[in-house]
Amino acid sequence: MNSVAVARFRPADNPFASHRVEGLAYRFIGFGLTALRQRLEEMGGRSAIVGPKSSGKTTLLDELASTLPGDLVQLRIQGGCRHPWHSARDQLPKPVNPNHLVLVDGAEQLGPLGWRLLLRATRHARGFIATLHRPGRLPTLIECRTDHSLLFDLVEELVPADASTLEPELEGLFHRHGGNIRSCLRELYDLYAGRIASSQ
Amino acid sequence: MLTLHTTDGGSWFKPGELIEGRASWHFDEEVDAVEVRLFWYTTGKGTQDVGIIRALRTDSPDASGHRDFSIRVPDGPYSFSGKLITLAWAIELVALPNGETERLDLRIGPQPVEVDLT
Repeated sequence: MNSVAVARFRPADNPFASHRVEGLAYRFIGFGLTALRQRLEEMGGRSAIVGPKSSGKTTLLDELASTLPGDLVQLRIQGGCRHPWHSARDQLPKPVNPNHLVLVDGAEQLGPLGWRLLLRATRHARGFIATLHRPGRLPTLIECRTDHSLLFDLVEELVPADASTLEPELEGLFHRHGGNIRSCLRELYDLYAGRIASSQ
Repeated sequence: MLTLHTTDGGSWFKPGELIEGRASWHFDEEVDAVEVRLFWYTTGKGTQDVGIIRALRTDSPDASGHRDFSIRVPDGPYSFSGKLITLAWAIELVALPNGETERLDLRIGPQPVEVDLT
């Protein structure tokens, strides 16, 4: 058995690789997780994390889940899922009981009927938190927003030494991708890989 | 505090071989369980895929303790890197529910280097 170092630049070595991007923590502005939990309690445990695509809703939901006690039921409804209600139903415990706290990522995939069926199926749960693109279906716990300073903050964490050289490009990048942080970071992945390739 | 090591300190294993080692822990606060997991994951451009091959769970562990493990390496996938993704292997020790983790990177394949698909 040997340990072997690999010298060439691999996708895993790119600072914008998925394992690094997915390891970024949610950036709170003005208040933190404790205040959010308190707000959730005040709202009776039923509320929504609202925001556009790739604005940190899933990251925040996962962070919130890691701090919540009790029986967590975590549903993920993938984008483009043909039968989102069936997907949600299949992930639910049977029956849902008053100890369960149901967390639904991707609830915007559900149509009006699927949404009503999900609410009905989880009505005995002690709590219900969903991520949604738009407010309205549940009281809003928090609205996730993005701006180019958030993008800079994340880039600075991923590439502290190079963030300032990338900064001039970030505002244009942010607008080109319509505020979608994940798309911005994917373009930066390509940019970084290109820079490494041209320097080798 | 979590520590994880293979018996001989190696990090390259061929398909079919046994990965043997010890996972140790010391906690200041009670945890529900600890798990030793052998898994692969992809990283690079795009979303991640993960495959957990084996998870060895110890419920209600003592504040300080250890667990020796022995896990057979499956036939694949091999560790590789292409232009867009790397498939990497690791074994990790995770405390639940707080998620504290110690990880050991591995290479899985017939040769001690990952397969180069570029």
